[in-house]
Amino acid sequence: MSQPFIKVENVSYSYDEEINLIPAVSGVSLEIEEGSYVAFAGRNGSGKSTFAKLLNMILEPSDGKIYISGKEIDVNAMTDAELMETRRNIGMVFQNPDNQLVATIVEDDVAFGPENLGVPSDEIRRRVDDALKTVGMSEYAKSEPQRLSGGQKQRIAIAGIIAMMPKCIIFDESTAMLDPSGRREVVDMMEKLNREYGITIITITHYMDEAVRADRVIVMDGGRVVMDGTPEQVYAEPEKIRAAGLELPQCAELVCRLREKGIKLDGCCITPESCAELICRALEVTSNE
Amino acid sequence: MKSISLGQYYASGSILHKLDPRTKVLLGMLYIVCTFLCKNIIAFGLLFLSGILLIAIAKIPFKIILRSLRPIIFIMLFTVVINVFWTTGDRLLFSWSFINIYAEGLYNALFMAIRIIMLITGTSLFLTYTTTPIQLTDAIERLLAPLKRIKVPVHEFSMMMTIALRFVPTLIDETERIMSAQKARGADFSNGSLVKRAKALIPILVPLFVSAFRRADELATAMECRCYHGGEGRTKMTVTRMQGSDITALFAMIVFGTVIVLINYYAAKYGIGYTM
Amino acid sequence: MSEYKIALTGVTYRYSPDTPYETRALDNVSVGFESGKITGVIGHTGSGKSTLIQMLNGLLKPDSGEVTLDGADIWANPKKISSVRFKVGMVMQYPEYQLFEETVRKDIAFGPQNMGMNEDEVKKAVEDAAAVVGLTEEQLEKSPFDLSGGQKRRAAIAGIMAMKPEVLVLDEPAAGLDPEGRESILNAVEKYRNETGATVIIVSHSMEDMARRCDNIVVMSHSKIILNGKCDEVFTNSEKLTDAGLDIPQITRLMMLLRSKGVDVDSKIYTVDRAEQALLKLFAEREATR
Repeated sequence: MSQPFIKVENVSYSYDEEINLIPAVSGVSLEIEEGSYVAFAGRNGSGKSTFAKLLNMILEPSDGKIYISGKEIDVNAMTDAELMETRRNIGMVFQNPDNQLVATIVEDDVAFGPENLGVPSDEIRRRVDDALKTVGMSEYAKSEPQRLSGGQKQRIAIAGIIAMMPKCIIFDESTAMLDPSGRREVVDMMEKLNREYGITIITITHYMDEAVRADRVIVMDGGRVVMDGTPEQVYAEPEKIRAAGLELPQCAELVCRLREKGIKLDGCCITPESCAELICRALEVTSNE
Repeated sequence: MKSISLGQYYASGSILHKLDPRTKVLLGMLYIVCTFLCKNIIAFGLLFLSGILLIAIAKIPFKIILRSLRPIIFIMLFTVVINVFWTTGDRLLFSWSFINIYAEGLYNALFMAIRIIMLITGTSLFLTYTTTPIQLTDAIERLLAPLKRIKVPVHEFSMMMTIALRFVPTLIDETERIMSAQKARGADFSNGSLVKRAKALIPILVPLFVSAFRRADELATAMECRCYHGGEGRTKMTVTRMQGSDITALFAMIVFGTVIVLINYYAAKYGIGYTM
Repeated sequence: MSEYKIALTGVTYRYSPDTPYETRALDNVSVGFESGKITGVIGHTGSGKSTLIQMLNGLLKPDSGEVTLDGADIWANPKKISSVRFKVGMVMQYPEYQLFEETVRKDIAFGPQNMGMNEDEVKKAVEDAAAVVGLTEEQLEKSPFDLSGGQKRRAAIAGIMAMKPEVLVLDEPAAGLDPEGRESILNAVEKYRNETGATVIIVSHSMEDMARRCDNIVVMSHSKIILNGKCDEVFTNSEKLTDAGLDIPQITRLMMLLRSKGVDVDSKIYTVDRAEQALLKLFAEREATR
C-alpha cells in the first residue's frame, strides 16, 4: 500500500496559550489520499480554518506531526528549497478574493507564483495561458481584477495556484463572500480540478450543501474531528450535524423529520431529485403493502 | 468610482506601446529636457509639431489628450497672464494706465503655454497612455538595478509600488462604502468648524486603517503561500529586450534635441524669429 | 397607496451618466413596502437591488421619479435628508467594517448621539438595541475589535437599531456567517420588527432564509422589478425566477418534482414545516386507504 499524501498525527494548535486555554485544534489525526476530494465542515471557531493553515505551514503545530508525501514538515528543520517545494505542492485559495490578487492585470497576477519559483519566461507564459484556459478566463487575461465579479476573481486566484502546478489545493472558505452564482462557479471548478486533473482538493466550508459534493466529509467541532465519512454516512446522522452547529439542506432536513415521525424512508437524500425519488418510493410501498 | 482607471492606459497597440518600457522612461526624460531647451519660435514650432506627431504615432484620440489637459488650464492661464502683463521689452504694443503689453510678453506667454502643454502631453504619452503602471514600475526597477549593488532595495520598492497601484481602487471603494455607512448613522462630514470636521473623519479613518491592515496581513499570507521570498531568484513572464526600434527611437530623440539646440544657436546668431 | 410606509414611483437612476461607462441601475421602478411587514428583495448581483435600497434612505438621489416616506417626497427639501436617514436605518453589507469606537457601547451610541438624544436616552437606546441583538453587558464594554465575527456583525446592526428607525433596511445581513450566526442575526431582525412594528426590508441571496422570514418578496432583474407579492406567489413562479438567474427554494423544487411524478402535493409549499405537514398527511391517507 502506498503511503498517504497527507498524514496528520495527533496535531494540536493554540493561538495564545495564556489567554485561550482551549486549543483551536486539539489532537487531530487523519490521512488524506492523493487525488481525493475532501470537505472540512464546521461552525465558526470549530478549528477547520486553523487546521488548513497548519497543512500549508502558515501556522506551526504546537504539538504533533504532519507528513506530506511521507516527509515530515517542520519549518525549522527544512531548507528554503524544501519549504518552497512544499508550499508549491499545496496551494491555497483564501476567503476574500480582493486580498489575494497582487497585480493590476489578470495575467500578471497568474504569473506571480511561477515567477517566484524562478520558472523560465516562456514556460511561465505557457503555464499562465493554460491556467487561464482551465478556469475559463482566457478572454480576461488583460483585464484589471477590480472590474471582475467575485466569482471571477476567485477563478483568477485559482489560476494563480494552478500555474504553480500543485498536487493539492486548499480552499479556505473561498465561497463565503460570494453570491450563489459565484459560489457555483468556484465549486464547479473544484470538482473539475479534482475529476479531470487529479488534483487533491481540500475545501473548508460551513455550507453543508457544498461539503456533500466532496467524496469525503469531515465535520469538526471544538478543534476535534466529530464526523468523518462519505456524504451519505454523514447525512445519516443528522443529530450529530446539528450538534456541530451545522444545518442540513432543506430536503435532507425534511427527510429527517419524516423519519422521526416514524415514516420509513430508505436510502440517502442529498439533492431534491434523490429526495423526490425517496418519497415516491416510500409512498408506493405504503399504498401497495 | 469603478470607472477610474489608474494611469489612463489606452490600449491602441501602436509602435509606441510596443517599445521597451525602459526606453519610454528614457524618452520621457529626454523629451522633458527638449521642452526646456527650446528658446526660439522655430524651436517651439518644431516642439509643437513633434507633439502632434507623437499623438498620431501613439494612436491616442485627440479628445482624450484634451481632457487630460483640463486640470492644468488654470496653471496655464496663470502663467500666460503673468507673462503677458509682467514681461517688459522694446516693442510696446499697448499701453493704458499702468498696463503695458509688449510683443515679448505675448511671445513668452505663447512659449510657456506650449511648453506646459508639451510637458504634460509628452510625458503622459510615453509614461501613462502607452505604458501600464506595472510596466512602468518594472522599467524603473530594471533601470535602477545597478543600485542594488550598493544595497538599495530596488525590488522591494517596486513591489511596494505594484501593490499600492493594485490596492488604490480597492481602498477608494472601501472609503466610499464606509462613508455611506457612517452617513447612514447620521455622521456629518461637511458642516461645522474645522476641528469638528477633522473629528468627523475619525469614524472613517479608523475602520479604513483597520481594514487596510487586515488586507495587508491577508495579502502577505497569500503571497507567502505563492512562494514569494523577495526578489532573489525571481524570473519574469514578460522579459522585454531593447530592440532595433528602441535604439532608433532613442536616437531620433537625441537628434531632435540636437536640432533644437542648433536652431536656438543659429536663430539667435542670425536674428531669425523671436528668441527668449 | 397609504398602506405603504415607503415607496418608489417611477424611479430611474444611472451611474456615470453621459460617459462611456453609463449604466442604468434602475429603470422606471415603482414599488411600495408595506408598513410593519418584512419584505425581501432578491436578484442576482448587478440586478439593481443595492441601488434600490440606497434610494430608500437618500444615499442616492433618483435621476427621475420620487421616493416617498409616509406619503411625502424625501427630496422635497434636500437639506432635511439627514432626518430621513434617522427614520430609515440602513445596514450595509459587512457592517462590521464600520465599527470604530473604543468600546462596543460607544460605537452603538454613535448614531443616537448624532441624532441629538440626551445622555439618558442614548444609554437606554444602546441597552435596548443590545438586548434585541443579544449582546451582553460584558460584551458592551469590550473593544469591538475583540469580538468574534458574528458578534461584530450584531454590534454593527445594534448601532442602527439604537437609532430606532421606523424603516430598517439590511443589505445581506447574514452574508459569510455560519448557520448559527445567520440564525441569530435574522432572529434579531424579526425581534426588532415585532417589538417596534418597524417596516423591514432585507436584501439576500439565500432563498431559504427569505422563504422563512419574509412576508413579501420583490424580485429584481436587469434594473426592473419582475415579481412582487406574497412569498408563496413569488416562490412558486419558478419560471420567472429561473429566467432572472435565481434559484428556487429547495422545497419548492422538491414539490415540483413530486408533482411531476404524479404525487398530489400543493406546489405552493416552500418551507420545510409545511412540506412536512403535507407529506405526513399524504402518508396517513395512503395508510388509511390501504
